[in-house]
Amino acid sequence: MMQRRLLPGWVGLILLFVLAAALSVAVGPGGFSGTNLSAVMNLRLLRLALGIIAGGVLAVVGASLQGLLRNPLADPFTMGVASGAALGASLTLVLGRTAGAFAPVGGFAGALVTMLVVYALARVRGRVTATGLVLAGVIMSFLFSSLVMLAMILGRRTLGEAVYMMMGHLGAVFTGTTVWLFGVVAVLSVAGCAWLFSMSRSLDIMSSGEEAAETLGVDTQRVTKTVFVISSVLVGTVVSFTGAISFVGLIVPHLVRMLFGPEHRRVLPGSFVAGAGILLFSDVLARNVVPGGLPLSIVTALVGVPFFIYLLRSRL
Amino acid sequence: MNAIELSDLAFGYSERLLFDGFSLDIAAGEFLGVIGPNGAGKSTLLKLVAGLLRPSRGSIRIRERDLDGLGRREIARTVGVVLQENPFAFDYSVSDVVMMGRNAYMGRFQSPGKHDREAVSSALEFVDALFLRDKRINSISAGERQRVVLARALAQEPGILMLDEATSHLDIAHQQLIARILLELNRQGKTVVFLSHDLNLAALYCSRVLLLDRGKVVACDVPERVITTELIRSVYGVEPIVTRHPESGRPQVMLPGERHQTPVSKP
Repeated sequence: MMQRRLLPGWVGLILLFVLAAALSVAVGPGGFSGTNLSAVMNLRLLRLALGIIAGGVLAVVGASLQGLLRNPLADPFTMGVASGAALGASLTLVLGRTAGAFAPVGGFAGALVTMLVVYALARVRGRVTATGLVLAGVIMSFLFSSLVMLAMILGRRTLGEAVYMMMGHLGAVFTGTTVWLFGVVAVLSVAGCAWLFSMSRSLDIMSSGEEAAETLGVDTQRVTKTVFVISSVLVGTVVSFTGAISFVGLIVPHLVRMLFGPEHRRVLPGSFVAGAGILLFSDVLARNVVPGGLPLSIVTALVGVPFFIYLLRSRL
Repeated sequence: MNAIELSDLAFGYSERLLFDGFSLDIAAGEFLGVIGPNGAGKSTLLKLVAGLLRPSRGSIRIRERDLDGLGRREIARTVGVVLQENPFAFDYSVSDVVMMGRNAYMGRFQSPGKHDREAVSSALEFVDALFLRDKRINSISAGERQRVVLARALAQEPGILMLDEATSHLDIAHQQLIARILLELNRQGKTVVFLSHDLNLAALYCSRVLLLDRGKVVACDVPERVITTELIRSVYGVEPIVTRHPESGRPQVMLPGERHQTPVSKP
């Protein structure tokens, strides 16, 4: 029965993605004609690339964390990891004089520290409870959002910049250096997602609990550490370009599981494609509905919060 | 040959040691029942042997090799474990769950081969659950799920099987089914370690019974010498009635009939 739904599922996901990518390139305040079309296209293609990497990474990390922690509410945003990355990136922007070249490193450090703190807070007697994880994540998010604001104000940045850092956007202004930097991050992102994919079987087995997984030959401590570090690298570096985007990493894996079943070898690649598509759609809405554009999390939260409530009511 | 050798083990969850100088040999091919009150250390013993917990002192040898020198995957190929609780966070198919038992034989990038699929089918067939293979693990009954988890352990092709309360949530028909499966596995040469609160089931099926109390071996012998009025009374603090099973002659334990100790029965 699962086999029959595989092909239509993939076709649907890829269609969604292609449609979103086409819209993302074709629709925008600059229109699709005129003398400076090639300049506009350059901007839009970069935006497209950023959207694909960000959406894919957030969804793949969300799926991996949900599997690892056996927790349907885990995701970079609900765990506060995205906000931690935003704080790390903001600090390097404000403190450094190198035009943001170290922002991805700051983002990674912020993400990793948050991941470890939230995990430690949520782990009671060897078990990470779903609600504990989200509570710890929300509290850290509050703290980090305030600190991002503080850092931005003290660093004499604009409020707009602070808002985009906390709520996400794909309008990163690329300079010569940051385009190269983004290239490196993109390669790193794909490699990181592939590494997570290579751990699919271990993640599957860990869904029956850490002890059971160990009796089946899985080194659960090593898997946990690896997933945490890779997730931090992925989310940290991506957030340093886009800011913290809500709910993509939470919703997408659930949708893909409904389509493909729970096996990570299908959920992870499916999440990358679906995450990229859904983020691009959200971005098309965010920048075309209101003149001047909206932060991405406004759009993703409007869809994400009802879904989160549904998960809270039905799955826990 | 001994399947499992524990010598001079020490272990505690806190400052207070649960096991202190604990030694035990389990012979290859035996069907050992492990009984004892809550907190006696049955599950802890299983977790030590499975490498889930590390002793603070002493040595654990499995098939004459030090547990310390064995990797997780090697342990998984030698010891199959059925834990007390088996929650599944996601709704995998039954055959996917049993295939997880093949993990220790597969490389990281390897997908299941012919032998892996055969091992899964024959494990499911052995526990009479082949018809469940396409069902979802969270949609089958407790008895069926227990068989599937046992099949997953069998797919590991281990020489030693350890089960923690494998029959406790099951009706008597399923209890009998699981016990018969274990007996058959034992006849085929597997060492079976069966942790249970069910004294009667342990007495009926096991070749030897280990009675544990607060981390100490009270007795370890054939059921007739372990499940006695004196030992059960002293360890559990109840006044048991120990009778003989009418067919096998094995000891069976009953609680006194308190509801009926009315004046009628007074002499």
